[in-house]
Amino acid sequence: MTHLRLLLTTAAALALGIAAALLIGSSTVLSLLNQAVIYALFALGVGLLLKQNGMVSFGHALYFGSAGYIVAILLQAKAVPAEAAVLIAVLGLTAFAFLIGLVMVRVPGVAFGMLTLAVGQMAFLTASRSRGVTGGADGMTIEWPSTLFGLSINTLTQPSGMLILAWSVLVLGTAALTLLLRSRFGGITEAVRDNEERARFIGIRTVVPRAAVYALSAAITASAGVLAALNTGFISPEALHWSLSGVALMMVVVGGTQILWGPALGATVYFLAKDVLGDHAQHWMAIFGIALIGVIVYAPHGLSGLLRRLVVPRRPKPSALVSGIYGGRVRRSH
Amino acid sequence: MPDYVLQTTDVAIHYGGVKALDGVDLTLERGQIRGLIGPNGAGKSTVIDAITGRRRLTRGKVEILGQDVSALGVVERRARGLSRSFQRTSIFGQMPVRKQVELAAYKMGAPDPGADADDVLRELDLDELADVTAADLGYGQQRRLDLALALVGQPTVLLLDEPMAGLSVQESLDLADHLKALTQRRHVSVLLVEHDMDVVFGISDVVTVFELGRVIASGDPAQVRADPRVREAYLGSAA
Repeated sequence: MTHLRLLLTTAAALALGIAAALLIGSSTVLSLLNQAVIYALFALGVGLLLKQNGMVSFGHALYFGSAGYIVAILLQAKAVPAEAAVLIAVLGLTAFAFLIGLVMVRVPGVAFGMLTLAVGQMAFLTASRSRGVTGGADGMTIEWPSTLFGLSINTLTQPSGMLILAWSVLVLGTAALTLLLRSRFGGITEAVRDNEERARFIGIRTVVPRAAVYALSAAITASAGVLAALNTGFISPEALHWSLSGVALMMVVVGGTQILWGPALGATVYFLAKDVLGDHAQHWMAIFGIALIGVIVYAPHGLSGLLRRLVVPRRPKPSALVSGIYGGRVRRSH
Repeated sequence: MPDYVLQTTDVAIHYGGVKALDGVDLTLERGQIRGLIGPNGAGKSTVIDAITGRRRLTRGKVEILGQDVSALGVVERRARGLSRSFQRTSIFGQMPVRKQVELAAYKMGAPDPGADADDVLRELDLDELADVTAADLGYGQQRRLDLALALVGQPTVLLLDEPMAGLSVQESLDLADHLKALTQRRHVSVLLVEHDMDVVFGISDVVTVFELGRVIASGDPAQVRADPRVREAYLGSAA
C-alpha cells in the first residue's frame, strides 16, 4: 500500500468511525462498540509483539491495568494535571517495558511467555493487596477533571464522544505503526524474528530491536488502558489479571497477525460473539472456544489472513517462473 | 611480507576432552581463494565458526587486517568486513528475497544498499525472484540467497561453508564459476569449505587439508592433491 493509499484509507476509516458515532442512536450499541475498540487497541499491542518479535505475552494486562492505576493514583494525589498523568502513564510504562524488555526478550519461546505471566501476576497481586494505595480488591474511582487536553470530560465520556476518541486513537495508531513497520526498523525486527542468528551475522544487534518492539506494544496497550480508565472512570485489579491478557491473545489468534489490523478484527468478532451469543447461551465462551478451534485449524492465519486470500490473487510459486540456471535455461554472467 | 586479510594463530577449540580444533594456523591473502577440505568432523566448519565468533576460542587468536578480533562478537567482526554463508541454509524465510539482501547490504554500510542488492541478485540469477518470499524458493535458490546475504555489502573476507551442499554436479560447477567471477570482480578473499573436490581444486588458489582438528597439508592444489598424507587421510585413489 503506497503512502497515498494509506492516507486515503486512514481518512476514510476516521470518517467512518465519526459517522458511526454520530448516526448510531443506541447508547447500548455505542457502549459495546467502545469496549470493542478499546480492546482492539489492546489486542493490537499484543498482536504487534507476536507479529514483529514472534513472542507471545501472557502478561500485557500489566500495561493495560497499570496505566489506569497510574492515572488514578496521580489524579487522586492531585500531583500533576490530568494531561501529564496520561502522558506519564503511557510514556513511563513504555520506558519501563523497554528496560525490562532488555532482559526479558533474551528468554526464548515458552519461557518468555511464562516470565510475562509471572510479572503480570506480580502486579495483579500487588494491586490487590495494597489497599492504602490502590483500594485493594475494591479498586479505585478515577477523579477526572472537567477537561482533558482542552476537551470537556462530559463530551469525552459520552458513548459517542468516547467512540470518536477511541476509534481515532486506534486508526491513527494503526496508520503510524504501518509507516514504522515499512521503515528500516520494520525490516530489522522481521529479520530478527525470522532468524535471529542470521540477523547477527548480517550485523544486527538483536536485543535492542526486540526490546523496542516490546516497549512499543506496551505503549499501545497502555494507551488502551488509559482509554478504558476514561470510559469507565474506575480501575480494579481485574484489569491486571492474566485472564485479560488471555482474552487479548484470543482476539489476536482469531483476527490473525499477518496483517496489522488483524487483532482489531479479532476484537470486533469477540465482542459481537459476546453480545449475540451471550443473549442466547449462558456459556457463550464455550461456543466462542469452538469457533476459535475452527479458526486455528482451518484458517491458521486468522480471519484477516482468510480475507486476504479471498481478495488478493495468489502469486505462482517460483517453479512456474523462469529462474536462470536452475530453471533449465543457462544464463551467463555479464 | 604478504598482505594477510585474515590470519589465525594457534586457534584451538576444546569441548571437555574433545579437541574440535587443535592449534590451527591459517592465512588468507588479499584476493585469494583458499579451499578447506577434510573428512567429516575434521574441524572445517568449526574453524569458520571460530573465525566468525560463533564459537569461543579455547586458545589462540584471530586477526582481520592485522587487528586481533578474538574478543569481539559476531556483529563486531561483521562490521570489520567478515561475512559468511552457512552449511545448513540460513535465510529469512518470511521476507522477500530483495528486501533481505538489501537489508544485509544496508547493515554492511553499503553506500547504495538497493543497487548493491540488485547487483548481487543479478549475479546469482535471483533478480527475477526479487519479490518472492524466501520460504517459497526452491532449495538451490535458497542456497544462492544464503550466498547473496554473505556477498552483499562488499565484505573483505568471505567464509563459505559448503555452498554446494545439496546441489547437482552441474549446478555445483555453474555456481563455482559464478563464485570465482564474482569474488574476483568484488575483490573478496574467500575461505571455502567444500566436499566437492572438483569445485575446490577447480577454483582455489591454495588448498588446506584438515584432519582431527589439525592442518595436515597446505599449498598449491596440484601439490596437495599429490601429497601422500592427503591421499591416505582423505582423497584416496579417486583423486
